[in-house]
Amino acid sequence: MSVRVEQASKWIYAGVWGILSRWFRVPEHPPALPSSSGTSVESFKPAIGFLKYLKFQFWVGLFAIDLTIFVVELIILVNAPTMGLLLLVPALFFAIVPDVIIYLAIHLRYDTTWYVLSDRSLRIRRGIWIIHETTITFENVQNVSVHQGPLQRWYGIANVSIETAGGGGQQSHGEGNPWQTSHCGLIEGVADAHRIRELIMSRLKQSRSAGLGDEELTPARSGWTSEQIATLREIRDLIATS
Amino acid sequence: MTIPSDDQSLPTFDPTSIERPDESLVRYYGLVSLLSGPFFPFAFIPLYLKYMTLRYKFDDSGVSMSWGILFRREIHLTYRRIQDIHLTRNIVQRWMGLATVAIQTASGSSGPEMSIEGVLRADELRDYLYRQMRGARGESEPTMTGSIQVIPSDDPLTLLREIRDLLQEKCSSDGRAS
Repeated sequence: MSVRVEQASKWIYAGVWGILSRWFRVPEHPPALPSSSGTSVESFKPAIGFLKYLKFQFWVGLFAIDLTIFVVELIILVNAPTMGLLLLVPALFFAIVPDVIIYLAIHLRYDTTWYVLSDRSLRIRRGIWIIHETTITFENVQNVSVHQGPLQRWYGIANVSIETAGGGGQQSHGEGNPWQTSHCGLIEGVADAHRIRELIMSRLKQSRSAGLGDEELTPARSGWTSEQIATLREIRDLIATS
Repeated sequence: MTIPSDDQSLPTFDPTSIERPDESLVRYYGLVSLLSGPFFPFAFIPLYLKYMTLRYKFDDSGVSMSWGILFRREIHLTYRRIQDIHLTRNIVQRWMGLATVAIQTASGSSGPEMSIEGVLRADELRDYLYRQMRGARGESEPTMTGSIQVIPSDDPLTLLREIRDLLQEKCSSDGRAS
């Protein structure tokens, strides 16, 4: 029985995906990141614990809302039976349909979230209706922070946020979606947050020594122009010959 | 499997040829304005004027855009100062093959400094901008420095030391001679 249910749900899910990718042009593959040859590009999804975490929140929410609907319906049914019977259908509708949609949306959200890391940059794709892709080079990263709540710890996941210079981070952007903040790339719900943090920080340190160099070497090397050096050489030769 | 390669039938992407947004942008603006219902003209006219006056200019060091009739706006930025690039496509834009490429620099505003709309093949534009960004290219690649051929013996310090030594020599020999 449960196998059949699983089969059916998989089938429905594949159908929904088919519609999304065909009609709503949701890309099925992870985003590509241009990189120099010979370097590895790693693309991954959030950990499976993230899906469980979202589902846990979903079940808690479902329980709370459906319990409220049930209690209200029961009260009406006891006090006004005809009214209660009339309201039974919409009550059932509101108890079931949004849950199915939200449950599907959780799966879709999980499957449309992609993180791509190359040796120089990262790219994050998120979203179903509005697909949002963020690209940041490690050269521009200012700090990396890891956040983990108690529930997330239970599921063994954490969020890594990678911030670049510039104002208007998460704090001042509270009204919108937390992942559409500017100057910040949020890698949500990964099991190996510390590995990713180390990965980015090591690349950050590497680029600090070499990558920033190509910015700072420029004035250092051109501190003396060729004419100045030529003049100096002339002076030396003049003194030497006189 | 989705690695973009240039050997497709499409001509190679040249951002410097982009000057005007694509025509589909005005259709997109029309659809967006329809959402405001009876206020359609109020929503559409500014967007239409923006579309009519929108100009892009991509050169090898930076990008600029300008629009507006009464109140003109121009934004200029260099590729090297780009902090992050956001590519956003909502469902209508995906249908029309459009996208919004938002570019952010390290300035204080939380919104994007420049959002490029109405460019077809926005993926390629984004990847072009990405390649121009700081830190996207290999360190081995030559950077755009003034091409001064500095050979080691021409190091200013050694030259100055030589001059000092010569002068010292000269002074001491002059002192002895007098």
